[in-house]
Amino acid sequence: MKNIYWTLILAVTGLLLVLSVLPVGVNWALFSAVIIGLAVLTFFWRFEKKGAASKEIALIATMASFAAVSRIPFAAVMSIQPTTFIVMITGYVFGVQEGFMVGAAAALVSNFFLGQGPWTPWQMFSWGLCGASAALLGSKLKGFKLLPFTVLAFCWGYLFGWIMNLWHWVGFVYPLTLKTFTAAYMASFPFDTLHALGNIIFSFLLGKSFYQVLKRFKNKMFVSYLDQNQL
Amino acid sequence: MLVYREKDNLIYKLHPVTVMSYIAVVLLLSLIFSHPVYLLVLFFAVGAVIIASGNADKWKYYLLMASGIVVMIILVNSVFVQNGSTVLFYGPAIPVMGKIKVTLEAVCFSAAMGIRLVVIISVFCLYTYAVHPDKVLKLFSRFGKKAVLVVTLATRLFPLMVQDVRRVTEVQRCRGVKLDTGSLRQRLKNRLPVVKVVLLSSLERSMQIAESMHARGYGSGPRSFYSRDLWRPRDFFVLGALVVSVMTGLAAVFHDWAVFTYYPRLENMNFKELNAALIEMLALSLPAFLNWGWKRWQLLKLKI
Repeated sequence: MKNIYWTLILAVTGLLLVLSVLPVGVNWALFSAVIIGLAVLTFFWRFEKKGAASKEIALIATMASFAAVSRIPFAAVMSIQPTTFIVMITGYVFGVQEGFMVGAAAALVSNFFLGQGPWTPWQMFSWGLCGASAALLGSKLKGFKLLPFTVLAFCWGYLFGWIMNLWHWVGFVYPLTLKTFTAAYMASFPFDTLHALGNIIFSFLLGKSFYQVLKRFKNKMFVSYLDQNQL
Repeated sequence: MLVYREKDNLIYKLHPVTVMSYIAVVLLLSLIFSHPVYLLVLFFAVGAVIIASGNADKWKYYLLMASGIVVMIILVNSVFVQNGSTVLFYGPAIPVMGKIKVTLEAVCFSAAMGIRLVVIISVFCLYTYAVHPDKVLKLFSRFGKKAVLVVTLATRLFPLMVQDVRRVTEVQRCRGVKLDTGSLRQRLKNRLPVVKVVLLSSLERSMQIAESMHARGYGSGPRSFYSRDLWRPRDFFVLGALVVSVMTGLAAVFHDWAVFTYYPRLENMNFKELNAALIEMLALSLPAFLNWGWKRWQLLKLKI
């Protein structure tokens, strides 16, 4: 069953990419949305396949909601928001799947309240990848290392904007040339810089303490019972 | 918190699958059509359904927001896209780009893309105001047990946490912490403890949720689910109309009726090609017509 699913996903993505090279009227807006949707679904599918753990589900829901809510207290101060940082630190502590799920769910849930749009799958994908990549970094390092984490957070400020630019570019710009591509990416540069700077600020101010809180919580969550004979 | 409000009209009494299919079909058609008339048809049909659902006042704000983006799209396209043979006027020379020419084709193309954007934004307006998120999530709960539970839980926790944030902010204010005055750095610094407190209390709560789920036997066996939404004749009418509109739409695209060539020169408008647009209009505004009859004709209301 699992293999069929993988093959199907790869086949559909490959088919779309092959179609896009052929000189027929390619609808990039539709194709890209399908590919992004399949990517998000794949992560969800993997998450489904793992056994049901009530603590894990409650934690992911809580962190996703927290990441979405964290947009509020700072909205009054400036346009930066710690959502990316929170998704990343969760991934860093808990792992790839948790990181992706928190990012994707945070995007989906916050849009229930801010308004859904064609940007929702793209946001789910981008924030999900933020969490997943931070988790990969976390699995390589021991403990919380501020510098690598901050560098990654800084990069994600730009990467997030660059992924989000794609949907705008393929959807509403024609012709899709290097020139219009550059123009679209130049236009988003100030916003991406602000996002990246915000990520640095939050990593510096909250990184260490959030890591400790989440780590302590992770230890509390995974209690294992030993057999009496083993003691 | 949630902007969804239940209203007494037919759109709210449709099965969630029907409304979601309607939204999906309009989205799909708006992406595959490039003919301005076909795009306008989609716009009017969705507009009719939104007005029928009683959300015209909300739609106004969406249109206002969309018009800003549309102006930007038109500006960017007409300045940066130098294709097209009918030059309207030459702009000033810009260092890197050279002399700018604004062409009729670029303006028309960007206007059509603007309509596409407005259609997409309108259809999401319909989704936001006319579909309850829980009903949609329930549809998917058959396929994704865990993922949907995560999203449902997070949706429920969101307003709770907003309350938490407000409560903690208020407490901090009472303690004399200055949240709104002082330098930017000071304000940011004073707001950080709010986030930390909310994080700690939310994590504690997540533990309680998990224990409660565990106590109720979550994950102890195969999961049961049920659906309270009824299938009524009205759903089949609307779904039938959707099938018709998808068929017509695909046919129109394959016959090049709904596809418009903008570059290098605008294609001539052929009125014979617009017959399919009429069918689309009728099929996609069927919910609005049904709602009109539903309001005025008791027998129809009883029967569907």
